[in-house]
Amino acid sequence: MKLEMRQKLAREPFTEKIRKVGQLIRLAKTFPRRDAKPAPAHPALSAEALAKGDAK
Amino acid sequence: MPINEPSANLPLADVLRAANGLVAAKLIEDWALGGALAAIYYVEPFTTYDADIFFIPADKGLTAGIPAIYAHLQAQGWEVEREHLLLRGFPVQFLAASGLTKEAVREAARVEYEGVPAKIFSAEHIVAIAASVGRPKDKARIEQLLQQADLDKTRLEKILQRHKLKLPTL
Repeated sequence: MKLEMRQKLAREPFTEKIRKVGQLIRLAKTFPRRDAKPAPAHPALSAEALAKGDAK
Repeated sequence: MPINEPSANLPLADVLRAANGLVAAKLIEDWALGGALAAIYYVEPFTTYDADIFFIPADKGLTAGIPAIYAHLQAQGWEVEREHLLLRGFPVQFLAASGLTKEAVREAARVEYEGVPAKIFSAEHIVAIAASVGRPKDKARIEQLLQQADLDKTRLEKILQRHKLKLPTL
C-alpha cells in the first residue's frame, strides 16, 4: 500500500479506525492463515481493501 | 446489551468504562490504553487480538491488587481465560505499570471515546516502550509510528534518554 494511503488511514477518526479493526478481526477469523508467513493471508484483510469497501 | 453477550463490534467503549469503574472502586489509581490499540490511535488500523490496559495499582503489594480487579470484573460478568479477561469474547489484559509504562500512564493523552473519558499512551511513549521490548513486531510498530504519527521528536528523545533507550536500526 502506498505511504500516502496509509497516512490517510492514520488520520481517520479513532472510532472509525476501531470499527475497521473489528472488521479485520472478523475477517481474520473467517480466513485464518495457513502458515506463519508475514504476507497478508487474504487481500481483503488489508486496511486499504477495507477503506475501499472491498471487504464484505 | 448484557455485559458478556458476544459483540459484532469491538467493545472498546465498555472496556474503557470498566477501567474507569476500577478507579471509582479505588482498585487502581490511574490507567491508560497501551499496546496495539493505543498505536492505532496514531496510525492506520491493523489486526490485533486484545486490548492492553496499563494501570497504576492502588494496592502496592506484590499482587498489585490483581485478584481484587479480577473479582470485581468477574462480578460484572467478565470471564477469565488464561492471562486475559474477556468482555463479549474480546480479550483484555490488565497490566500493572512500572518504570517507563508508569510514566506512560501518568503522561497519557486524555481523550473521549464514544462519550467515555479515557487515556491513551502518547505516540512518543509507545515508540519508547517498543524500543525497550525490541521484538520484530515492536520494530515494525516504531517504523509505522515514525512514518504516520505526528511525533514530537524532542519529547521522544527526552524519554529515550531518561530510560537509557535507543531506537533500533530499522
